[in-house]
This record gives sequence, C-alpha cells and structure tokens, in this order.
Amino acid sequence: MSRRTIQIDLNRVEGDLDFQLELEDGKIVDARCIGSLYRGFEQILVDRNPKDALVITPRICGICGTAQLNAAVLALEQVGRIPVPPAAVRIRNLCLMAETVQSDLRQSFLFFTADFCHPKYRHKPLYEKARAAFLPFKGWAHCGALEYSRHIVEIIALFGGQWPHSSYMLPGGVTTPASQRHIIDSLSIVNKLTRGFEQMVLGGDLETWLALQSADDFFAWLTAKGSHADSAIGLFTQMSRDIGLHRVGFGTPHMLSYGAYDDPDAAGTFPPQHQRLFKAGFLNGDTGIIEAFEQAEITEHVRYSWFQPYAGGRHPFQGQTIPDYQPHSDRYTWCKAPRYQNKVVQTGPLADALINGEALICSLYQAEGGNAWLRQFARLHRTARLLLKMRETLHQLAAHPNAPHIINPPEKDIPDGEGFGLVTAARGALGHWVQITDGVISRYQVVTPTAWNASPKDSEGRHGHWESSLLGLAVDDPEDLVEIGHIIRSHDPCLVCTVHVLDTGKRTTLWL
Amino acid sequence: MTTLLWLQTGSCGGDTMSILCADSPSVEELVDEYGIQMLWQPSLSMEPTGRLETLIEAILAGQQTLDILCIEGSIITGPDGSGMYDPYRGRSKMSLVRELAEKAEYVVALGTCAAYGGVHSAPPNPTDCLGLQFDKKSPGGLLSVDWRSRKGLPVINISGCPAHPNAMTKTLAMLAMGLPVELDHINRPKVFFNTTVHQGCTRNEYHEYDVEDAAFGGKACMFFNLGCQGPVTMAICNTELWNGRSSKTRAGVPCFGCTSPDFPLDHDLFDTEKIGSIPVHLPMGVERANYMAYKSLAHEAAPERVLNKTMDP
Repeated sequence: MSRRTIQIDLNRVEGDLDFQLELEDGKIVDARCIGSLYRGFEQILVDRNPKDALVITPRICGICGTAQLNAAVLALEQVGRIPVPPAAVRIRNLCLMAETVQSDLRQSFLFFTADFCHPKYRHKPLYEKARAAFLPFKGWAHCGALEYSRHIVEIIALFGGQWPHSSYMLPGGVTTPASQRHIIDSLSIVNKLTRGFEQMVLGGDLETWLALQSADDFFAWLTAKGSHADSAIGLFTQMSRDIGLHRVGFGTPHMLSYGAYDDPDAAGTFPPQHQRLFKAGFLNGDTGIIEAFEQAEITEHVRYSWFQPYAGGRHPFQGQTIPDYQPHSDRYTWCKAPRYQNKVVQTGPLADALINGEALICSLYQAEGGNAWLRQFARLHRTARLLLKMRETLHQLAAHPNAPHIINPPEKDIPDGEGFGLVTAARGALGHWVQITDGVISRYQVVTPTAWNASPKDSEGRHGHWESSLLGLAVDDPEDLVEIGHIIRSHDPCLVCTVHVLDTGKRTTLWL
Repeated sequence: MTTLLWLQTGSCGGDTMSILCADSPSVEELVDEYGIQMLWQPSLSMEPTGRLETLIEAILAGQQTLDILCIEGSIITGPDGSGMYDPYRGRSKMSLVRELAEKAEYVVALGTCAAYGGVHSAPPNPTDCLGLQFDKKSPGGLLSVDWRSRKGLPVINISGCPAHPNAMTKTLAMLAMGLPVELDHINRPKVFFNTTVHQGCTRNEYHEYDVEDAAFGGKACMFFNLGCQGPVTMAICNTELWNGRSSKTRAGVPCFGCTSPDFPLDHDLFDTEKIGSIPVHLPMGVERANYMAYKSLAHEAAPERVLNKTMDP
C-alpha cells in the first residue's frame, strides 16, 4: 500500500486556495481544504459606526461586493426596524441579479471551462472545438464572457455609481431613483446580453431553453440542432460528460438556501415574515424533504481552525473571531466550520435551484445526483432565469414612476441592538450578524458561502463539503491533478473571505 | 513584447474584477494590441499553479525577464513580522514580493491596499498591513523610501478601492509603449491623479450655490453633511466614468476618498466632520475665512430651481 501526501494550490478561483490530500493506492483518502489568507475584517468593524459596515464589508469580496452590501444593510434595517419602499427593493434586486450574472459568466468561462483545453484531453473528439471556444483570450466563449460580464455591471454603475465596491444601499432604501433614462439604459443592456447569451451560450432562444422541464427534455434539446451542441453550454456539457464529471464530486447531500431577492410586494416586513422571490429552505439529504429555514440553527465550529478555541459550535451572535495561528498543530485553516442543524451542508446555485423547486435541475438531480457537472450547469441555468427576471424587474420599475426610492429613518443613527442580513450571493448563502452597543459595532460576524462549502472538519471530526466531494476519488496521475481542478472549480471557490496558512510540517509535501 | 506578472497579496480580488471592466483599453487589447504578455494572472492564466512556481524560479534566477510586476493587495506582515497570515507555498508572500521587485523593470501597485495598506490596515490593523512603498501616509513600506525599480522609478501607485479600471489599463499601456510616467508626491501617475473627484460631479451646481443635502437619496451636494470627500480627493471618477456610465457621487453615494493613503478614515464615513457649519477639511488650498464668505454669498445668489432642488444630478 502506498500512501503519500500532496499539496495543491489552485488558480482561477477567487483568492488563495490550497488542498492537502492523502493518497492511498491512487485514491484520495483524506482531504484538508486550507483557506490560507487572514485579513481580519470582523476585528476592523468593531468600535466603528454601524453604517461604516456599508463601506467596509463590500471590500470583503471583489466579485460579490453588492451581495455583501445588501447583507450589511439588511442587518442594520433589522436592528432599527427600518422599512424599505418597494422601488428600493426592486433596484436592490436588479443590482444583485446583475452582479450574479457577471459572476456566473466569469466563473463559467474564465475560471471553469479553461481546463477543457488541457493537453490531457487532446484525443477527445471535441477537443479542437473546446479550444476554439474556451482558450483564454482566444476562444470565442472566453472573449464573449469578458465582453458581456463587463456590460452587465453597467447596470450597477447606473444605480450605484460603480462596480465593484459601492455603497448605494442605505438604511431605508437606495441613493438614486430609477429614472426613465436609467430604466431604458438598463433594458438596453439586458437586451444585448440576452441576445449574446442566446447566441453564445445556448445556440438557441431563451424561451425554448426556459421551457425545458426534465432531463429528457434537455438531452433531446442538446441533439436537436447543431447550434445547440456547438454552443458554450453544449460543448461544456459534452466535454464534462465525456470526462465523467457527472459521476463525481457529490459532497454532502444536505443543501441550504437563504432564498433570493426580497419580494417588493412584501416591502417593509422583516424576518421571519418577509418573503423572497426564490424560496429559502433546507434540503435534508437524509430524508429528501425540504424543511423551513431557521437561522437559529446556524453554528460555527473552530476545532480545526486557527482561532482561539471554544467547545462545539456557536451561533454567530455568540461567535468570536480571535486569531490563534498554530501552524504546528492539527488545526489547518482560517475558515471556520459552519453547520446547520449541526449538519455539514453545501450552498450555491444547485442548492438554490433544488430548494426553489426548479423542474429541470430537480429532474437532472433525481437522475444523477448533485455531481460536478450539474453544479456548474445549475449556475448557467440561473443566468438564463435571471436575464428574464431582470427584464421583469425593470418593467415593474417603469410601471411605478416617481415611487419613493428611500425612506430616511427618523433617527440618523442605528439604535443599539442586534440583527442579521441573509442573502444569496453568486456562490450561495451569505450572512452578516451585527450587534450594536453604545452606538458602535460591538460584534460583527460574517459567514460566507465559501465558509459553508470550504469548511474544515468540525468538533466532531466531520469533513466539510469540498473535502468530502474529493474523498474516494481515483487520481490517474498525482503529478497532474486536472480532475481535482474540475471538481473544485465546479464549487466556484471564493477564498478571499477567509485567511490562510500552510502547515507542511513533517509531511512529504509535493507542490504541483 | 512586454512581460507582466500579477500577484495577489492581502486582497479581495477587486482590482482584478475592476480591470476586467476596463474598456479603454480593455485587458484583451493590452494583450492583442499593446504586446503585453501575461506571464501570470491569477484569474486568467490557464496553466496550473506549478507554472507560476517555474516562472518565479526563472525570474529570480535571471532566466526570464520581468518588465512589469503588478501587485494587488496589502502587504501582510503579521503575525509577528512573519508575513505568514498570507503565505505562498510555505513562505510569506511578503518576502516573495520583495525578491521579485528587485528583478522587475517596473513595479505597479494596483489599488490602495498595495499602494498604502488600504482597508486591511484600518484600526486595529489586525494583520499588520503595509503598502509596497508607503505605510498609510508615511513614506516607506515593504520597500524603503529610496528603493527604485530597474528602470529607476519608485513603485507606481494606481490607488483606488478598487483602482479605476481604465487608470490601470492605460498605465500598463503607457509602460508597454515606453511612454514616460510622471508621478505625483505620493507616486501616483499624475495623468490620473491631477483632478478632483469633485471636478465633473453632476451635483456641482448645488455645491456652487451652497445647497447641501442633509439626508441621503437627494439631488444636492453631499460635501457639507454626508461625508463626501470629492473636493479633497484626487481621482478621475467624474472625468472618466466608471463602467462607462457613472460615478458614486453622481449616483448619490459620497466619495469616501478611496484613492487617498488614509482610506478608510477613522471618522464616521457617512458624516462630515465640521467646525461650526463648515467642514474641517476644505477643498484643497482654500482659506477658511474666504470660503465662509464665498459660501454665504453663493447661497444668497442661488436661483430658485437650485434652492428647491428641482435639478437632476
């Protein structure tokens, strides 16, 4: 029996990601996911004016700053019971959707599909077509994604001034109304992107795509026309399935979604009363039942993280983030280990679609489970749905001219108290928990989507989702781990939210 | 051909996301038209990370030329000066950047983090962050005040949180073309840092007539009450619009001074610090007494359409 430890670090993810893998007879028997960068945001926020979180927290993440901003403002509004008018909810939703479309296009065609150009696949029948589509700076899908992702965030600039990193969602609303100029400009951007998405990603029209209800529908669609098979989603699907990505990378069966986009018709309500356009819930992988989501069920463990230890798990309102860097111990990451109902869960577009009951994704999931291909596929399917939803949101804004975009709260300062803001970012469930004492932030805890997915082991020794998605995987060539790259990138890793360091210790470490 | 290596240190990835939004020139144009060869860019390179290791070895051994070294992110020196809060393959990024800088013709700090320390160095600076050649306002960061790259320039600071997309791509294009890059007193290219955010702001008429908003969501100027630092911040936000469309101040968001070395200020960010009714920090070079006199006269002269805030920004 041969056993070796290898260490890999991955590019084309957001931030720094390292894995330490134990191989035994060519199979992965243990995996440690290492978030190696520590930046200390939760410490920087303490003692500041609560509203400063609206400037500081978007800077947690360059790719999902709008979602961070939304989580921060929702938490403050909950503390102050500050209502928001429907037009502001719509503008916030529109910008959140634009950011997610941006992220999904970049993740798919800048980060994920480039691996299909790997020389290992040169004998695959679609290799030349894949290179023509996905090669960085040369492939038509890579170039298209660069161009379209650049355009879609112009919508955020119209309402927020710039992307990335603005602070236009303030307690009570947004800073600028949806003028007719902005609405038509935004529609024009959505129109162009929709045509581009149809031509590049689908090779067919959006309506036909959105009418696909089942696995059978989809596979029939794929072969119905040459343009479907040769589209970006067609090539991505065929390459993925030829390689076998529909048979690997499952991870935990438990799925979590906070729900996405506040319902403007329920504007002015707070959790748990408030409603979302895409449903929140917890898909219990043991029973297959979707249960109601309850934020009190969230805890974080630090048994294997470089933070001052405490026993078991703590809810974020009792959370503590005191760095305690112990490289020569069995602790291995700057990620905490979040758990829901004390279970290991995954979050992201696959979880969102299943919990929201989207027929095509549910059907594919029933057929083949939550594999690496489906996880990536669910992300692109979401883009199609959001393009339609953005148009609908813009028409609703147009139908309510001169509706108020902000109701400034009577008190300038946010009162003492506690609140949380839970949103769906491009990578899944994002939560901010804030406590305010004597007019300043006394505790701020952020649980990012990647914290859920990249979780280390918890105090009961259970692996996190990414770690478990690699266990049992056969590795052909430990010197060239392209299959691991596919699986990990299908989770859309974003490690900038955490911090990290490596302990190579006395292990034989091989950097690839 | 101009070779470029891009490393992320203590970063949110926002400057990479920002440069992908550049359109004049775009990143694709830098590659196709300006002959920039991206040896490595963390979000764009196709090769596995082993390629980066090979490149770094070749550069340090003098076998691979490095024309432009781009650094995105704060230089993290903690814990205890080890830099291991931000490691690269068992060593600190801090030490790696120091070595690579010696081999580069030009070193470019992309964003306020790499230039001056940025948001991660806000109190209590939990990870002991610095900029490449500054520590906030103080000269000298990871590299000493006197340090110069092989071409004889200090670190070129394209500050901003994030840096403006086109300020980054234009600077890289200038370097690739061999054009001179003139720097200001804190080593920012003058061509992007010789105008205020205030210049070109569509709320200027309100400022001109001293009509100031006291609550967010309005149409008037945000300088006196709402924390806007537009008149004291140097950047092109209102002369070369973001994403080709707008700017924070046009959209009713105060300028937070993110291109300045002391970003983010310790003071409340949505509130203007004042002496009496006048901001502590006046537009650059203005005398307080003159400014007060000018403001009261301006208010007297204001037309109804401005006083009543009927004009759209």
